[in-house]
Amino acid sequence: MIRHLAAASLLLTTACLAIGPAAAADPGITDSEILIGDVEPLTGPPALLGVAASIGHKIAIAEANAAGGINGRKIRYVLEDDGYVTARTIQGVKKVIDVDKVFAMLGISGSGQSIAVMPVLEKSGIPTVIDVAPVKFLWEPPRKNVFVVGQSYEEGIVHLVNFLADKNPGRKWGLITQDDDYGITVRDGFDSVVKAKKLNVVYSGNYKKGQQDFSSDMLQLKESGAEVFLAGGIIAENIAMMKELEKLSIKPVTGIFWPGRIEPVLKLMGPAGDGIYAVDYVEPFAGAAGKAFLEKAKPLVSEAEFKGINRYTMTGYAAAKVLIAAIERCGKQPTWACTISELEKTKNVETGVMAPISFGPGVRFSNQKLQIMQADAATLSFKPVD
Amino acid sequence: MQYLIQLLISGLAIGAIYGLIAMGFAVIYKSTGLVNFAQGEMTMITAYIAWTISTTVSGNVFVVAAGAILAAVLLGLIIERLVMRPMLGEPVFATVMVTIGLAVILRSAINFIWDAYPHGLDIGMGRGIVHLGSIGVRTGQLAVIATLLLLLAAIWAFFRYSKVGVAMRAVAADDRTALLMGISATRVHALAWAASSVIAGIGGVFFALSYDLSPAMFQLGLKAFPATILGGLDAVLGSGIGGLLIGITENLAGGYLGSGMKEVAGFAMIIVVLMVRPFGIFGERDIERV
Repeated sequence: MIRHLAAASLLLTTACLAIGPAAAADPGITDSEILIGDVEPLTGPPALLGVAASIGHKIAIAEANAAGGINGRKIRYVLEDDGYVTARTIQGVKKVIDVDKVFAMLGISGSGQSIAVMPVLEKSGIPTVIDVAPVKFLWEPPRKNVFVVGQSYEEGIVHLVNFLADKNPGRKWGLITQDDDYGITVRDGFDSVVKAKKLNVVYSGNYKKGQQDFSSDMLQLKESGAEVFLAGGIIAENIAMMKELEKLSIKPVTGIFWPGRIEPVLKLMGPAGDGIYAVDYVEPFAGAAGKAFLEKAKPLVSEAEFKGINRYTMTGYAAAKVLIAAIERCGKQPTWACTISELEKTKNVETGVMAPISFGPGVRFSNQKLQIMQADAATLSFKPVD
Repeated sequence: MQYLIQLLISGLAIGAIYGLIAMGFAVIYKSTGLVNFAQGEMTMITAYIAWTISTTVSGNVFVVAAGAILAAVLLGLIIERLVMRPMLGEPVFATVMVTIGLAVILRSAINFIWDAYPHGLDIGMGRGIVHLGSIGVRTGQLAVIATLLLLLAAIWAFFRYSKVGVAMRAVAADDRTALLMGISATRVHALAWAASSVIAGIGGVFFALSYDLSPAMFQLGLKAFPATILGGLDAVLGSGIGGLLIGITENLAGGYLGSGMKEVAGFAMIIVVLMVRPFGIFGERDIERV
């Protein structure tokens, strides 16, 4: 009898351990709602990406809720502002996980912030889909519960520089980058193509984050005789650079990276921005997919939010769609373990704003297809080139 | 040679903007003995208000200028009355901390009231490019240099010949004696905040005209502060000139020593100057009799 009892106890204990904490109701889920958390920069200059990404999450959530929610449960979005300050990102993520007790996470802020918060995410085990700033560290090595939608900065730069190099053989090159992790990534990608294609780099500048006047930098670029220019600024920096080049009466073939590929930038650059090239993995708003997305978004967000839509809204939307679909596939009683398992099974999920998204066993990065676009100052839009 | 001239002109243009904001720092310090760490944010708010007027009321340059000046006066007066006056008599450290808190609030206000997108201030002028020989300059850049020079002359005359200017100098020299002479120190303080807000606001509007408006614009305050230290915290005119020196130094360093040196050149310059003249190039030596 005692032997039977001991065996039963052992079996029960083993079963509990096997199911793990997920079997006990995971946080953030009630009979009527599921909580999804996010931490973004909603104030300060990077709010441009944080606010836009959060609007993308809201659109996907509103769309799902309008269709009845996730298996009858409405989704509630818990959003925190980190002001792009890493300490506040960590604080914010801890708050949404421990205090708000969300079921899953989206976002999260910039690349440095996502990297810093990784130990918290890993330790908690919460299903997370990162969409704002894809950098290799986030998926190499793969973490069980963290998935990344997008393309790496390095690949983006390599794709852009390769395109410009093939289109402009034998030309002199100029590059300017920011003095931070973003700038290092841009420079590393650029250098790899320079080495492979033996590009002739005649100007290489490095500016301090926050610099607003680029008169001496662009004058140096002009003096160097550069004919192809990779503007490694983000938003205001690229605008300032292009306007300086206009003042100096030169117009090199210019490439910019996707963080600065937002339509209002073209308005501020004016004629100086016409014809600049950009690389991205989300659809341009001028294309059919972009227009369809805007049509879909219009009734789901406020007028102010609609005005705040940019490319980050598309990345946020795609990530939220993937997460919602994974939770949905878990049926009536979704758990963290099931959601993570379903995220891993994500295969060719269509979002309409980028190429189909897939993950896989041990693959936590969606590796989106890149495309080159060119600015059209007349219509203030980017149009696909290849 | 053409390279050098282009660097000098661009340096003078950005330096004039630093100079105007630096004068704003100095006006408050001279009248109240306080360093206002919200100066860059006040500059930014005035520029955003000018942009709002240009997009909602009228893009006419006179309407925008009048509206922006009025808004800057009100901003300065409101801050002085609601935030700074209650701090009168409190330790300087506490008052400075209040200005830091104010800076954070004003910075966040940009996103709450406006948005995080960059915007262009279009008033029908200032954005065009003129060519002096083969050197290109924006008309707004020429205008800001001229405005700084005019303001330097006007402020010199104001402090030297006007009753209010003399009263401000009296309060700055010894507020208790000034009070005994019938001068209202609180009124002088209010006037100083309003004047500082307007002068720095002019710099902000010119920056928005020559470059663009963005929530990062508050950083101009950080660039203008070394100009004030260089010129002398208590020297309004000296701060204006300090701005020009910092602008030129930055551009020459950026042009000849490389991009990375641009941002540190101004700070390197003030370290050297302060070692020789701790009170700034045009500042007054503080003598204490024991």
